[in-house]
Amino acid sequence: MSETPHSASGDAREAERLHRELAAVWANPRGWRALTVVNHSTLGLRFMATGLVFFLLGGVLAMLVRAQLALPDQAFMAPGIYHQVVTMHGTVMMFLFAIPMLEGLAIYLIPKMIGTRDLVCPRLTAFGYWCYLFGGIILFSSLVLEMAPDSGWFMYTPLSSAEHSPGPGSDFWLLGITFVEISALSAGVELTVSILRTRAPGMALHRMPLFAWYILAMALMIVVGFPPLILGSVLLELERAAGLPFFTVSGGGDPILWQHLFWLFGHPEVYIIFLPAAGIVSTLLPVFAGRPIVGYGWVVAAIVITGFISFGLWVHHMFTVGIPQLAQAFFSAASMLVAVPTAIQIFAWLATLWLGRPRMALPMLWILGFLIIFVCGGLTGVMLALVPFNWQVHDTHFVVAHLHYVLVGGMLFPLMAGLVYWLPLVSGRMPSERLGRWGFWLTFLGFNLTFLIMHWTGLLGMPRRIYTYDTAMGWDLYNLVSSIGGFMMSAGIAMVLLDLALHFRFGRPAPPNPWGADTLEWSLATPPPPYNFASLPRVETRHPLWENPALGDEIARGEHALADASHGRRELLGGEALTGRLREVIHLPTNSWWPLAAAACLAVVCVALLVRLYPLALVAFVVAALMLLRWSWENGAHPIAAAMGDDEPEAPPLHSRTHDGPGRWTMGVALLADGAFFLSLLFGWFYLWTVSPQWQMPERSPLSLPLLVGAGAAFTLGALWLERRLRALRAGEDDGLATALFAIAALGGLHLLLGAALLWRAELAPTASAHDAVLLVGLLYTLAHGLLAGVLAGLQGARAALGLVGARLPFEPEVVALLWRYQLGVYWILAAALGLLPRLIGGGV
Amino acid sequence: MRRPLPRLTAGHPLQLVLGLTIWSLWFVALYGGLSVACAVAPPAPTQGAMTGLNLWLGLLTLATLGLLGWLARACLTAAWRERGRTRFMAALGAGLHLFSAAGVAFVGLPLVVLPPCL
Repeated sequence: MSETPHSASGDAREAERLHRELAAVWANPRGWRALTVVNHSTLGLRFMATGLVFFLLGGVLAMLVRAQLALPDQAFMAPGIYHQVVTMHGTVMMFLFAIPMLEGLAIYLIPKMIGTRDLVCPRLTAFGYWCYLFGGIILFSSLVLEMAPDSGWFMYTPLSSAEHSPGPGSDFWLLGITFVEISALSAGVELTVSILRTRAPGMALHRMPLFAWYILAMALMIVVGFPPLILGSVLLELERAAGLPFFTVSGGGDPILWQHLFWLFGHPEVYIIFLPAAGIVSTLLPVFAGRPIVGYGWVVAAIVITGFISFGLWVHHMFTVGIPQLAQAFFSAASMLVAVPTAIQIFAWLATLWLGRPRMALPMLWILGFLIIFVCGGLTGVMLALVPFNWQVHDTHFVVAHLHYVLVGGMLFPLMAGLVYWLPLVSGRMPSERLGRWGFWLTFLGFNLTFLIMHWTGLLGMPRRIYTYDTAMGWDLYNLVSSIGGFMMSAGIAMVLLDLALHFRFGRPAPPNPWGADTLEWSLATPPPPYNFASLPRVETRHPLWENPALGDEIARGEHALADASHGRRELLGGEALTGRLREVIHLPTNSWWPLAAAACLAVVCVALLVRLYPLALVAFVVAALMLLRWSWENGAHPIAAAMGDDEPEAPPLHSRTHDGPGRWTMGVALLADGAFFLSLLFGWFYLWTVSPQWQMPERSPLSLPLLVGAGAAFTLGALWLERRLRALRAGEDDGLATALFAIAALGGLHLLLGAALLWRAELAPTASAHDAVLLVGLLYTLAHGLLAGVLAGLQGARAALGLVGARLPFEPEVVALLWRYQLGVYWILAAALGLLPRLIGGGV
Repeated sequence: MRRPLPRLTAGHPLQLVLGLTIWSLWFVALYGGLSVACAVAPPAPTQGAMTGLNLWLGLLTLATLGLLGWLARACLTAAWRERGRTRFMAALGAGLHLFSAAGVAFVGLPLVVLPPCL
């Protein structure tokens, strides 16, 4: 039936009204209040803009290094400054550019690709951004102050320990990186939950865009992979600041433990960087080939395999530290194994190109550059997996060249492709083909000139991290060519940035869906409004825009779900993780000062620890914790969030009126990260116990058994009681809920008191022995969790008393219960490992 | 004939991580077991690969291989029978179990030829 002009104009007015309503609810404030923004688009762009600034700074450092190495016997930089510059180049590129940039891209794109309006924890997005910004500034300021870390980006002990690095350089690294990693973990947690729980209705896992699969794997790898380094950084900072000898042999520690903890993070880190970049390739390549990707299922399998196997390779960075040949063979084989999923993806991409009709648009140039460079980097990776070859080129420029082939080829080139491809979405304008092609060729040729030659420099024996060399070594020409290539590459990057800057003013206006893409983000206006979708579509295909090119118009006209914002809430749809079946309406918090304020307090903690003002650090930490608790208070049925009222949807209900909203998943994924931290601590305990050459276990455990068991019993009682109350809540009973929650909190308090007594009675000497130092950290870890569990249960009691928790609002106790279950398990495992096991098998291992 | 796994289980999303989790646990047990044994009671280097430690780790490897093979077969059977999302999950699970099994065999192979603590 054809539409009459009258009804068409009525529809247009209705659509206009809907957009005004949504804009009023979702708009970003201006002026100072722009600091309170929690919207994913704005924050994703802030992440990327900040990452770009750090990329330029890291690039300048790289050019300083190449200028120094261009000729033999150069005195352009003093050795001390050179080591700072080299260390900061690696650190900035890995921690302040690569990861945050890709996270920013994911934060910006994922909601648009999976058909929703924002990420599930918008305040967490903002908190993550501020932690990143403050951490990055603190870390980079060390270079300006000429106090930068100088032990290499991997900070090996004992070089980075107090004895050999007495200045504050290592402290800047350890504290700054830990701060930045809070940001990475925040993004990892919320990207995981958003992808699993807020996809468009009907978008079952097997219909999800491949980019979302890649980001899901990356996010989970961050969640599991970053905590070992956070633990390592905490332990090393404790050793440097307080003298706890975790990495000092004479105190029963072992410097090799640092290498294990670092590379447990460091090797997966390579794939954390590579996977999203490969996701860009798997998204763009089918668009420009004009057909669906070949072997969607194979690619998904490759992503999952990479996510797991990449955690089983870390020792291949340590082949020369002296481990048994058989163990080396295990890790050598595992290192070769990881080439298989990468090869699967490469064959899938080649087959897609083969079977499609490729268009050689600008993004495709970067993709082809990626394919060439990354395959070369992968091949040298297989060479390095072979132990004898690895020994020969260990610590030479060959390894540096391989690393850059993998990381620049595997991350920067796809990222550039992605930036060019999604630029019209962000700005509404097209980039320049001519400038872009100049930028690509200069970068591609410059890169290969630098790093292909560097393989030979390494094979000729030039070690990495030396500030100059003698001309008699025969490395002059190779280094000069590498330096010329480096500056050529810089010119290419400058060209790309020029294009980026100019296109905002001179770029041709982008038509709708300018590349003919299949994914949902191109159904939006360019640039998209802050709420992305005026109405949320049902998606039952992997290629929604290829199957329905008019979908964007339908969405804008409000023809799909949640086309109403008169209630004033920021709403999106929550679905089942597997099927995408609709479960609830998720209401999101709006703009808030808490993320910025809490991150600023943590920055004060960081700086206070750097200058050793410990009382100030403690006060700032307590203030930050109070702010975070206040942040958590403004949830659920709180008037600032979603007060109980008549305009609530019933089918499906608001998530805070259910038992299993996304907040519960967020807590679950956050506890996964916590668990990885805990397992790393257990690994450290058993590692030092069995391997450390001067480890000393006391004949009698210093931990009092009655107190150990008593503290555990109090917490177990509280946890069981909480479970019982949860069962009652699920049955709709909330009589005496507040009292019960207060009593449960009191049991948490008793657990804390007995735990503190246990610590007090142990009379540990943590600066004298690594054994006591690990015991101290373990007990503090469990006490901190006990404290948090008790406080949160008490707050739930207060909320129940105020009517913010009850039979109609049963959600929050379910979230807190996860923490109680975690602490229950962790406490007893720790009690067994630290208190019982040494009693049973003795300390003489 | 009874199915090796109930239908729903073969298409369960946990199949996406089960095989590789088993691989990871086996890998930790292999490396951890080797390291602890070499620290506590290393066999004489003259014994070569014919040691009790290699035998135990080899048996663990064979058992893991068997478990992964069984899981792969169960998922494969379900994938042939099912349609749509369940088929996708089961087929993906089968592939991942098979890869994990191949990974166990490949990484475990040096047990046959190398002395454990040299």
